[in-house]
Amino acid sequence: MTTSTSAPEILEGAGVLETRGDPLRFVRAVLRNRKATAGILILALMTFVALFPGLIAPDDPLATIYPPNELPSSAHLLGTTQLGQDVLSQLIYSTRLTLQVTLVVSVIATFLSMIVGVTAAYVGGITDRILTVVIDVFLILPVLPLLILLASYLPPGVTSLTIVLCITSWAFQARQLRSQGLSIRNRDFLVAAKVRGERPLYIILVEIVPTMTSLLAASFLGLAVFVVGFAASLQFLGLGNSSDLMWGTMLYNAQQAAALEAGNPWWALAPGGAVALLGAGFALVNYAFDEIGNPALRPARRRRRGRSSA
Amino acid sequence: MAEALLEVTDLTIDYLTEAADVRAVNRVSFTVHSGEFLGIVGESGCGKSTLLFGVAQLLSPPGEVVGGQAVFHGRDMVKLDREELRHMRWRDYSVVMQSAMNALNPMKSIGAQFKDTLRAHGNASSEEITQRSEEVMGLVGIDAAHLASYPHQLSGGMRQRAMIAMALLYTPQLVIMDEPTSALDVVAQRSLMSKIKDLQHGLGFAVIFVTHDMSVVSRYSDNVIVMYAGEIAEAAATDTIFRRPLHPYTRGLMSALPSVTGPRKELIGIPGSPPDLARPPSGCRFNPRCPEVMPACLTDEPMLYRVGDDAVRCLLYAEDAEAQRPTAAR
Amino acid sequence: MAGHDTSHRDAPDAAGSGASHLSSQAPAEPLIRTEDLTKHFRLGGMFAKRVLHAVDDFNLTINEREIVALVGESGSGKSTVARLLARIYPTTRGDIYYRNRSLHGLRRRKDLLWYRGEVAIVFQDPFSAFNPVHRVSHGVLRNLALHRPELNAAQRRQEAARVFESVGLSSKMLRRFPYEMSGGERQRVGFAQALAVRPKLILADEPVSMLDVSIRAGVLNMMSALRDAEGVSILYITHDLASARYLADRVIVMYAGHQVESGPMGTVLSQPKHPYTQLLLAAAADHEQDDAISGDTGEPPRVINPTEGCRFRWRCPLAIELCSQVTPRPMPIGEAQVACHVVAAGDGSHETRPADAAAVTHASRGQ
Repeated sequence: MTTSTSAPEILEGAGVLETRGDPLRFVRAVLRNRKATAGILILALMTFVALFPGLIAPDDPLATIYPPNELPSSAHLLGTTQLGQDVLSQLIYSTRLTLQVTLVVSVIATFLSMIVGVTAAYVGGITDRILTVVIDVFLILPVLPLLILLASYLPPGVTSLTIVLCITSWAFQARQLRSQGLSIRNRDFLVAAKVRGERPLYIILVEIVPTMTSLLAASFLGLAVFVVGFAASLQFLGLGNSSDLMWGTMLYNAQQAAALEAGNPWWALAPGGAVALLGAGFALVNYAFDEIGNPALRPARRRRRGRSSA
Repeated sequence: MAEALLEVTDLTIDYLTEAADVRAVNRVSFTVHSGEFLGIVGESGCGKSTLLFGVAQLLSPPGEVVGGQAVFHGRDMVKLDREELRHMRWRDYSVVMQSAMNALNPMKSIGAQFKDTLRAHGNASSEEITQRSEEVMGLVGIDAAHLASYPHQLSGGMRQRAMIAMALLYTPQLVIMDEPTSALDVVAQRSLMSKIKDLQHGLGFAVIFVTHDMSVVSRYSDNVIVMYAGEIAEAAATDTIFRRPLHPYTRGLMSALPSVTGPRKELIGIPGSPPDLARPPSGCRFNPRCPEVMPACLTDEPMLYRVGDDAVRCLLYAEDAEAQRPTAAR
Repeated sequence: MAGHDTSHRDAPDAAGSGASHLSSQAPAEPLIRTEDLTKHFRLGGMFAKRVLHAVDDFNLTINEREIVALVGESGSGKSTVARLLARIYPTTRGDIYYRNRSLHGLRRRKDLLWYRGEVAIVFQDPFSAFNPVHRVSHGVLRNLALHRPELNAAQRRQEAARVFESVGLSSKMLRRFPYEMSGGERQRVGFAQALAVRPKLILADEPVSMLDVSIRAGVLNMMSALRDAEGVSILYITHDLASARYLADRVIVMYAGHQVESGPMGTVLSQPKHPYTQLLLAAAADHEQDDAISGDTGEPPRVINPTEGCRFRWRCPLAIELCSQVTPRPMPIGEAQVACHVVAAGDGSHETRPADAAAVTHASRGQ
């Protein structure tokens, strides 16, 4: 009988599991998912239009040189406004500011909700209670009265809009991120970090937040959907600056000019559609990330294979 | 000789994933006779639980039986439809899962779950249900008053006993168990195994017992199948395997077990880890870790060779035994 | 199968009196000892009445270069002891003395950091013990940065490679992510992290329980080698008597938050005195008949709002009236310390062996 050799002195890691960090695999996963592809196409289109409006828009959006309230024609694919501006050009040029506001608000609000939520979860105790109350207060703030109040103090415009949107939208995700933080705060690796002497801020920023990237991405995307619509709503109500080039202000101006009843309905319908499309783009990408990240959510695949004798 | 209750032949189970098809169980064959206690031993990833689920027809996508058959009472379970299976389930065979907390409904009392089971597989009257429920609780040694208890009110050991009681409601001929003791402490484990063995002697059912714990197998099973990387590595009567293990993997497993009594020997174990079944090594699946590997092992896939009472999948024995599809017991 | 008897160890034995192997030096002061260590958890909020007594009046001693096994089943409090020693939980009562310095006196961050560089903990679950987004070198490098500030970045990388190799891992694996490594490899990383601070004591909380059997041997052998090569003591916490026997020189058996028996490994295993130790041994041993455990179904102990008295009394074949009135404290009996009124009373004449325990059991069941 042969003798067995003892374990090698140094393990070279023969049992390596397949690396999941391969970026190419991720790209392939994205492309295979129809929702992801559609969503990404929409967002890519929007980004392109936002960056290079001049390349696509047929006219200067603010030039009031055309006949007013015209219905769509070959010269003006979406008609003209009451002041004789080309609606299509306005739509295209408004993309940039709209997207900008959406992204800025989403980033700030997500960041705020992350800091507050995770700190509340990790530090616990009195801090948690205080922060939870703060979150709850912001959640139930009546938005409209607050806006009217703020509108009388803040100059109308993009900055005020951004501030107001940040204040009113960060609290949603804070609760969720706090829950996630609570669920992992007793995981061994966090206990290990505390035991080796790390400071709490370090643990929050370096050990906890990086594990939440997919949740943060989902928060961000979900927030973006909300912000797109809400920003447009606020502007529609007149709380923005009507001379800013954004889809929401287009809606406001169209409403003021009674475009749906008396003039060019596309002046109102087009920006509304654009808002919906951008929101849908974010939403599709959000669903897709969920599915890619969690195989259980994927549509069931039935693969019929013939019974082989292997 | 006892009749053959379940004959599994060339059972093959794949997991059909987007990335790759993984062959979790590859052409496994064995026979279980009535009253027999068959232990299936292996470490994580060897496919023993998948095999069990396949035999009990509990696989869900992406897992699928893609080959072979499991003939119970003359009927191939793999080909039966849901209705026919439902009729067989619990009456002819039943299943005890690894963790009672996962298998029992936390919102329902034990008695209510027994009732559900009895109603699902038969037409018993209320009195018969009560009577039978009390009977099985008595069999496993739990006070019948606990029929009103909820799972979380029972200790781990008692929950597992309740699971076994539930499995015996129709006195099946075969009880399939997936590591029912691994969540228990050593005293509870010993007590439970002892009880299972008593019940087996008393009621005469056969047991297929899947575990990673060799000591449980050595004490209680009649026959043992050792699995590795989805295949049978060695299969024989318990005494045979423990007295004289042939497969280097089995020997490695034995050498890794410390004992409380007996001489203090150096533990050796097996270096490395089981292969990724999406890309198994060519030739013998154990060759990267085998202390007795030969050049042929890297290219030739060994079959299951019969050596006396033992069946071994190892090229070391290819010459002095004829390759056959063996049964696990004589 | 080749085997060699390694039961003869030359580590100093400081448990109780009458050590059978004396080293050439007198036993030095213990590395760490606890005094009536107690930990209670209040269940259900600040004003709840239910108190879980995880650990009560626990005294242990660990010397340099020694491996002590802390054995118990679930609910015994062994993991809590580890976490108390690692200062993950504050104590409810009692104190811990590290090199005769009370841990209660450590308040400044500097002092706490010092202690953490002396005593390190390795966790049970190789899957949750690592942050999945960081490479496995992260913990080691952070430990070095925090506890060995004299090293610069390049030296830290070198030291990380060195500790990896001392646990049997190639330094190339430093760049791996946790999911790219097997359970056994991850446990070794856990030990590497602990070694990075150059501790005097490693608290190993069930380090092999979640590993496959064939992998355990390697990790156990590695732990033994660490004691020899790095001179570190290990508190090996486990429910498995067999691996405890393989690794440790001394053993402490816990039940329901109390220490029931402790002593040199060979003595306790061959002549267990406490009924619980005998029960454990009977359940774990290969050659015992099933009825050696005498129908004990392994019910977990009662540690919520417990009453005074021995917590094993409901399962104990030797229980007398005193057992429900006074909690037994460990008393030296032979080379061991045993917490049992009956055994203490019949000291000398009542050394039960496992087979005798079964006989006593049968007799008492007959009542």
